[in-house]
This record gives sequence, structure tokens and C-alpha cells, in this order.
Amino acid sequence: MLKLTRRTLCGAAAALLLYTGLASAPARADFPEKPVEMTVLFGGTANAIGQILADLMSKNMSQPVVAVSRTGGGGAVGYSHVQATAPDGYNIVWNSNSVSTAHHKGNMPFNYEAFTPIARISTEVPALGVRADAGWNSLADMVKAAKSADKKLKVGISGKGAFTHLTSAALFDALGIADKVVYVPYGKGKAPAELLGGRIDAAIQWPGQFVSHAKAGTLKVLAVTSAERIAIMPDVPTAKEQGADIDITMWRGLAAPKGTPADVVAKLESAAKMAVDSDAFQAASKKIGFTPAYMGSSDFGTLIASDDDRISKLMGELGLKK
Amino acid sequence: MEALLTALSLAFSFDALIAVFIGTFIGLVFGSIPGLTFTVALALVLPVTFALQPATAIALLLGTYIGGMTGGSVSAILLGIPGTPSAAATVLDGYPMTRLGKASLALGTAVAVSAIGGLFSLVVMMLSVDFVAKMAIRFGPAEIFALVLFGLSTICGLAEKSLLRGLIAGVIGLMVMTIGLDQLEGVQRLTFGSTTMLQGVNLLVAMIGLFAVPHVISVFNTYRLDRQTQMQAADVKAEFPSFKMLKQHFGLTMRCAALGTGIGAIPGTGGPIAAFLAYDHARRFSKRPDSFGKGNVEGVIAPETANNSVTGGTMIPLLSLGIPGDPATAIVLSGLLIHGLVPGPMLFIEHPAQIYAIYLAIILAYIAVVVIQFFGIRMFVHVLRIPPHLLGVAIIVMCGIGAFAIRNSVFDVYTMGIVGLFGYIMMRAGIPTTPVILGLVLGPTLEREYRTAMTLSEGKFDIFYTSPAALLFFGLALLIVVLQSMANLRPASEKAALKEKPNA
Repeated sequence: MLKLTRRTLCGAAAALLLYTGLASAPARADFPEKPVEMTVLFGGTANAIGQILADLMSKNMSQPVVAVSRTGGGGAVGYSHVQATAPDGYNIVWNSNSVSTAHHKGNMPFNYEAFTPIARISTEVPALGVRADAGWNSLADMVKAAKSADKKLKVGISGKGAFTHLTSAALFDALGIADKVVYVPYGKGKAPAELLGGRIDAAIQWPGQFVSHAKAGTLKVLAVTSAERIAIMPDVPTAKEQGADIDITMWRGLAAPKGTPADVVAKLESAAKMAVDSDAFQAASKKIGFTPAYMGSSDFGTLIASDDDRISKLMGELGLKK
Repeated sequence: MEALLTALSLAFSFDALIAVFIGTFIGLVFGSIPGLTFTVALALVLPVTFALQPATAIALLLGTYIGGMTGGSVSAILLGIPGTPSAAATVLDGYPMTRLGKASLALGTAVAVSAIGGLFSLVVMMLSVDFVAKMAIRFGPAEIFALVLFGLSTICGLAEKSLLRGLIAGVIGLMVMTIGLDQLEGVQRLTFGSTTMLQGVNLLVAMIGLFAVPHVISVFNTYRLDRQTQMQAADVKAEFPSFKMLKQHFGLTMRCAALGTGIGAIPGTGGPIAAFLAYDHARRFSKRPDSFGKGNVEGVIAPETANNSVTGGTMIPLLSLGIPGDPATAIVLSGLLIHGLVPGPMLFIEHPAQIYAIYLAIILAYIAVVVIQFFGIRMFVHVLRIPPHLLGVAIIVMCGIGAFAIRNSVFDVYTMGIVGLFGYIMMRAGIPTTPVILGLVLGPTLEREYRTAMTLSEGKFDIFYTSPAALLFFGLALLIVVLQSMANLRPASEKAALKEKPNA
């Protein structure tokens, strides 16, 4: 019995040595030689889109892309994991503007420059919803009511320092009623239900959370914060159309640790492009409520840098920057 | 009617039937192995559903969810280690039953009442989804805070020997959950500037550590001291609950099912709270409250009915409002979204066939649970034939894997070890474990709802005493604390009276 155990152990050890020996053999020429791990930072929509993207990218590469969830710390936990891995393209992150918010809140010692951008994949636009029985049909109605009321307007967001908070702050600042607003943070997509329950007056959330209630006539979406109207809610005017000069869109994309070779990035970039262009991805976007928005590596890098600058300023104004 | 027929053909298609069955099986396996949880099972199953038809995909996800919920009781009863947080209350009387040689009776009862509880909540959901959703919306942060406080008051009944030790344990649980990034402001707490600490202590990881590690340490310790491999129970014959016995406890089962459904419908609460409240209810209204914790079958019936009736309850806010009640339903929600089923009031109007298919999948999943467990229990009880020290090795390995798999983080494996050692020290110090679990489960909700309520009221306390529902729960919590304190004081004063007499 003992003998057998020892022999098995030796065999296992030999196999392990052989395996590690093979794995460490330098062969970058034919990327990828093993599965690529895509770190997902959040649950919900982020996880759903990430899973679909990984599934579709796998079809365009010789090795699968595996979505692995590493949540926590407003994205900081997942970013830190990927940032510390070897820059060989086998560890990539399903990122978003959270790379800027996590850093400027002081939860992450490095910023976006620790990553090489691969491609932007999609965008999501925050929307402002109110109760239908409030009788407000435009931002102007809401502003008028807020100015004349002696109570402050309660606005539901996803968390202090979250993207929805920054968007709200920018919007209400542009509307000139920043001092008449109280932000109430709710996690787990509870804000629309709280709005229905009458405990808050408005909520800035993602369009997908409002669609069903808006169709049912219980909630009304007053504005989206992008420069142009969005496909999932074509009848909802932008804030810009209503005189509030803002243009805020959240993007999601892929990035690898800094120093990843250009040819490896190019391979991932083209696999991502094929995935975004596929019918399956376009169909999923309509169901989940996001916009496919492919952008190549270099343009994406410029966008991340300019957005980081804006977010840094905004968080400074809100006193959230550390 | 047409929708129902379409749903019937969807739910009873060959693919969907197989999917429900496979899902339930996977859920049962993951739920019953200590360390592996059905949240992990759901995360693994989700990518598989992409390629499936919506009805088949939903059948697979719901099967996994329901199988996992019932599977959690298996390891709770056989090993004293809950497979899911919802099964933590089942340990209290389920494990003592195993030690009395009634393992299969406890398991059989758990399966039977789980199915009854689950189907009860489903019926409530089918009949009154609109009404319940409207009621659930009225539960704001202040009301949920009061409800959670009521849940926390059950610590009094779970404190075992001394109330003080129970309270110490509860506070430890509450404190551990403050580690990491705070939920509302995103401020770091007790992280010592380390990024890994930002993720905080995961509830499942802490629970695995708290139950499994001390168990394994004490098993090894016993083995080291006397080298005897004692079987946990010599008699492992399969004995199933009789209809007579189930009928005898029908009233309790129904009350716990109603409680579970109600709590499940309130977003942000969930299985563990329902299970503990149900357990406390059963003990308080029992004719023999002393027999609880020593293998009373009512102590298995109450939490198992309640945690499974939560499954139907959570479907209400999930489907009608799009709010997931716990991490497991959050994955179910992703599955629905990917297949184009956007939760909300319009889901019931635009996709009635899919809604009926969901109902049918739940019924089929419970049938699958009963069928699989009818054979499964006969096999599971043989685990007790394995020498405990060998079983201990297997348990600790599974727990290590399980802790890692929850968030793919090595940090969680270390956390499990540290929490486990701490749990062992507490066990030796005579501090009960269950109140720690209550603190862990309820702490984050308690804090979040309190702070959200205070944000809403702009710092005024009137939000708590102007709401009738909140007042009701505050009153109940107070009642439990007062009753328990009186019960604790009475024996002491009686003893004092006895002592005084001879002196007089």
C-alpha cells in the first residue's frame, strides 16, 4: 500500500516537473498557447457582457478566453491582480472608467498607465429616471419643482464615488441646483425600486434598469447624459438638448499589464473586433441594454487618458479625491 | 391559457427536463460538499447556458439554485458544517440528530419540508406576485433595518450557556464584516493600506472557516490523543420520515413557509435571516424548548422550510423589480438578461410563456430534489462510516478549494485558515459560534440600511419611529430581549431565594 503510494507520488512529481518545464519554454511566436484569463471586476451587467465577450473571443482564437470573476474594492482588487501578472497577454482585464475612480479615491496605488489598452468594447450611458406621477416631463420641470420646494431633492445613485454619482454631480451642477440635492447611495440595483416606493425623487442608473418600468408607465426617464440619444431609448432626449451642457458615457474595454508585446496586443485586439462585430454580440447588446462601440488600441489609450483627467477634476470638485 | 400551453411545451421539452434534472443534481452536489457552494455552481453553469434555448437555460439555472439550497442541509446534518449560509441554523439540531443515530431521518425530513416550503412560496408567487411586489416596495431602509435588528435579537436564544458570551460572539461577527471597503462611501476600513484587504472578509469564506476548521482540528486532536477511529454513528440505516410525523408538524411547517416567503420577498434580506427567525420561532413556541439543540426534529423542520420558501420569495423582487436578493440570485439575473428576459412589470406582459416556464421549472426542480435525495440519502449516510480523521483531510481540502473558488482569490484561503483558528480558540473558550454567523450575515445589511435611512432622513431619527412596520419589528425585538433577560434572571433569583431561606 505504502509502496504504491510512493510510486504514485513519484509519478505525479515527474509529471508536474515535465508540465512546468513545457509551460516555461519560451515560445511567444504563436500566441496564444494556453487559455487567456480575463478578469471581471464587477457582477451584474459587467459580468454578463464580459462572459459573452469571452465566449465570442474564444471562437476567434486558437485558445479559449476564460472570464474569471475578481470583484471587490470598486475594481481595485481585480486591477491589482492583473497589474501584478507577467505582461505576456495571458492575463487581461475587462476594464472600465473604474480604473480612474478607484485610483483617485485612493484605493489603488497605480493608475491607468499601469496597463496597455487593447480595445474599447462597449459603452453605457447613465439615465435619469423619476416617478411618472411626479408630473415632470422634462429636466426643466424637475428643476422648477426643486427650486420652489423647501425640501431637498433626493437622488438615488449606486454608491459614493461610483460612476453614477459623478454623473449626477455633473448633471445637477449643470442644471444649477447642485445645492438642492441629496445623494442616496443604494447597491445592487435597488434605486429604481426605491424610486417606485416613493422614498427618493429621482435616480441616476443604467437604462436597462428603467426600460421595463418606463414601458409599464410607472417611471419616466427624463434624460440620458451622452451627447447623442441612445438606441435602447430613442425617445428620451439628452441632457444637452435640454440645456445642460454635459457629455458623459461610461466605456468598457480590455487592457493588459504594461509592457505586453505589440504583436500580442494586436492579436487580442483583432479577436475583440471580430467578437464585437459578430451578430451574437449585437443581439446581446439589445437584450442587455448597452452599445457595442469598438475602438482600437491607440485611440482607446487617448480616450482613457482624457477621461481620467476629467474624472480626476470632477472628483476633486466633489471632495472625493484622495 | 395559450401562454400556459406554450409554457408546458417549453418546460416539458426533453432538453428542459434534462436541464432541470442536471441542474438540480449539480446544485445538490455543490451544496452538500462542505466548502463548495451553490453560488460557485451557478457561476460555473452560467456560461454553459449561453448556447441553450431560454427555457432550457432558465431550467438549468433554477435547478442549480434550488438543488443547492436543499443540498446545503446535507453536510449541515451529517458533519455539522453547513453547505450554505442558509443551512447554518439547520446544524443546531440536525447534527445532534446524527449523533443520536437519526441522520437519515433528519435528512429525509429536511428534503420533505424543503420541497413543501419551496412549493408553498411558489404558489404564493403565482397567485400574488403584484401584491407582494407592491408590499415589498414599501419596505424601505428603515423597515429593513428594523427587521434585521429583530433577526439579530435571536442571538439571545442562540447564546447557549451565557448571554454575555453570545453577545460577545455576535459583536465579533459584526466587526469582522466591517473589514474592507465600506459599502456606501467606499472608504477603507481596517485594511492597513493593503489592496488585498480591500475585498474584505467574504461571508461564505468566514462561514467555511468557522464551522469546518474547528471541526477538523478537534477531530485530529481526538485522533492524536487516543488513536481510536471512532465512527460518528454505528447505525446508518436509512430511515425516512413518516407522513404521520410530517402531519404532526404541519402547522409549524406552514408558519415557517409563510415566514420564509415573506422575508424572501423583501430585497436585501434572504435565506439565513429567514432560517434563524424560523428556528427561534419553533423553539419559542415549542412545548419542550429545552430539547432544542439536542436533536429535536422541529429544529430541522423550521429552518429548512424557511430557507427553501425564500427561493420563491426572492423570485418576486427578482422578476418584478429586477433586484437580486443574494449573490446566487444575482447570477440567475445575469442568466435572464443574457436570454433577453429583462425583469420588471413588462416581463409578465411581454413574456407570459417564459414566466409560466419559470414556475414549472421550479416545480420540476423540487420533484427532482425529492427523487434524487430519495436515493442520495441512502448513499450520503455512508459518509459516517469513514473514519473521522480521514474524512477531516477530505473536508479541509474541499474547503480550501471552495474558499478559493468563490472569488478566485488566495487571500480567501488564508482568511479561511485564520478565521478557522480563531473559531477553534472561541470553541475552547466556550464562546458559541452561531451568534458569530448571525453577526456576519446581518452586519453588512444592518449597517447599510441604517446609514441609508439616515441619509434619506438627512440625519433625523423620525424615519424609524414614524413607520408602523419598523415600529412593529422594533417592538418584537424588544420583546425577545426582555423575555430572554427575564428567563436568565429568574433562575438566579430563585436560587438566591433558596439560599436566603436557611439564613432567615
